Amino acid sequence: MENIIELQGVNKSFNGFKLQDFTISVKRGFVTGFIGGNGVGKSTTIKLIMNLLQPDSGTVSIFGLDYKNHEKEIKQRIGFVFDENILYENVTLNEMKRIIKPAYKNWDDALFNQYVKKFELPLNKNIKNFSKGMMMKASLTIALSHHAELIIMDEPTSGLDPIFRRELLELLHELMQNGEKTIFFSTHITTDLDRIADYITFIHNGEHIFTKEYYKIEEEYAIVKGETNLLDRDTEREFIAIRKSNYGFEALTGNKQRTEEVFGDAAILEKPTLEDIMLYTKRGKDKYVESHS
Amino acid sequence: MLNLIRKDIALQKKTLIILLLPLFAYLFFGSSTIWIGVLFCIAIIMQGFSMDEKSSSNLLFNSLPYTRKEIVSSKYVGACVFTFLVLATIFMGNLIIHKEMIQLEQLLFTMSIVMLFISFAFPFSYLLNSQYLMIAFAVLFVLYFIIVNMFIPNLNDRIRELVQTALSFDNSLLYLIVVVSVLLIYIVSWMLSIRIYSKKVF
Amino acid sequence: MQIIISNYSKEPIYEQIYTQVKKHILTNELQPGQSLPSMRQLAKDLDISVITTKRAYEELEKNGFIYSVVGKGSYVSEQNNEMIMERKMKVIEEQLMTAIQNSKEIGVELSELRELLTLLYKEEA
Repeated sequence: MENIIELQGVNKSFNGFKLQDFTISVKRGFVTGFIGGNGVGKSTTIKLIMNLLQPDSGTVSIFGLDYKNHEKEIKQRIGFVFDENILYENVTLNEMKRIIKPAYKNWDDALFNQYVKKFELPLNKNIKNFSKGMMMKASLTIALSHHAELIIMDEPTSGLDPIFRRELLELLHELMQNGEKTIFFSTHITTDLDRIADYITFIHNGEHIFTKEYYKIEEEYAIVKGETNLLDRDTEREFIAIRKSNYGFEALTGNKQRTEEVFGDAAILEKPTLEDIMLYTKRGKDKYVESHS
Repeated sequence: MLNLIRKDIALQKKTLIILLLPLFAYLFFGSSTIWIGVLFCIAIIMQGFSMDEKSSSNLLFNSLPYTRKEIVSSKYVGACVFTFLVLATIFMGNLIIHKEMIQLEQLLFTMSIVMLFISFAFPFSYLLNSQYLMIAFAVLFVLYFIIVNMFIPNLNDRIRELVQTALSFDNSLLYLIVVVSVLLIYIVSWMLSIRIYSKKVF
Repeated sequence: MQIIISNYSKEPIYEQIYTQVKKHILTNELQPGQSLPSMRQLAKDLDISVITTKRAYEELEKNGFIYSVVGKGSYVSEQNNEMIMERKMKVIEEQLMTAIQNSKEIGVELSELRELLTLLYKEEA
């Protein structure tokens, strides 16, 4: 399968924060959800992908091309949405369109108008008077109007109401219909991903934890609940992190099958949410840091 | 890159039209054309520059299919375009109001001052921010004021004389040297800005 | 064709799709040669990710229920009755094996088991 985005052994120190030997790939024709807590390197990664930051070492390749020799060619094929408004505020959407349109060879006015109509966006109102949702819709409209093959979005759903979040997901489904487009978006609203994400890429503290097909996560990970007397040095090793209380324990396993064999019917296994996985991975890493420092 | 220059002009269309009025007023009351030219050029160019200084604008234009080189270059070429527009307006205005042609030397002199200013202001602003430029100039102005008052009371007159002598030179070779050196400084500043901007983090 | 997905079921979503499409095929609601919606269309209609429908279709194809033509889509396979019978028999055998093992564990005799089976078989009918 062809990779649209490839980061190979990327190192980047930036603002007292480090991406270390960071390697990820994003597959063509699918939606990849990019998850991780605040300040773990999601935005930095997206900026590396957009060439807004350059790696200290390692390679970034988009569509199999590098930024050094093909910057404009790559960016022609990308549509982007950031979590902050990056459009000029003192102009109308129509004026903004006239500024951006000449940058793209494949700009499609008809498509632009179609989205403007669909999102009910005012063309002649200053962008600074737009609500957060409208700004997002305006950014999205611009991102989608030049037939981009790769759509990159940084927290597109943050601060949006549930109804629009749903509508956005429907729109993404529509975009994915011909199989030519690839979507890569970061989010911390993990419930958005249930319905659309094919792959999940999870990072924590500048480190790539995994990239997996969404259904594989359910197959491999499980929340385990049971009585604390089940735990000993050996069984604890099965878990990524454990939360103990007076009433029992709750833990995350990354090898559901083996855990099932070890505990049999003595413990309850449940489907984990992405939030569970994020939380326990963080706890597991923190504990690791503690015990090794 | 032409798109970026066109964008700057489009965005400043309103400001340009509004500025036309005071420009003609100044011309009408016969203030120094050099002084007016320099003032208006710098005001317009720096306003255009500061518009794109916000990190959001940098994010936008760096995400669009433009290189950082083009983004910086558009500001330098754009500055020349704006200077030309202002000087052409002043020239025409003068012709209409006072029925006289402005000397070529005066235009060249104005242009040189503007370009020298930009050569300093752009790299400085790319490195820090144009807001600091105002502070830097305020400091310079205060210093100048102190010098005028305490050390060289007739500095103003001396500068005026210097300008007059420079303008009265009938030596085209000297003009050529001045223009070429200003151009050189401008180009060096341009390259420097590209280097600074390439390493900038938004 | 109706497919009902539960997000709260223990059964993975691709398995839910697999089971339901299979049922539609085995009950002849989906005729041999009939085309199935594209993976991407189905994903959109069910509001789930493409990779989930892809997995379901792959499983269906692996087990011979459907076949796909590159660039055209997926179609219901010609169902070979013998094949289905054989497959079903195998499943029955396996299930009976489990029943037998469980019986032996608690000491249920063959005659008792046979009686139970007869009883259940008649009840079901």
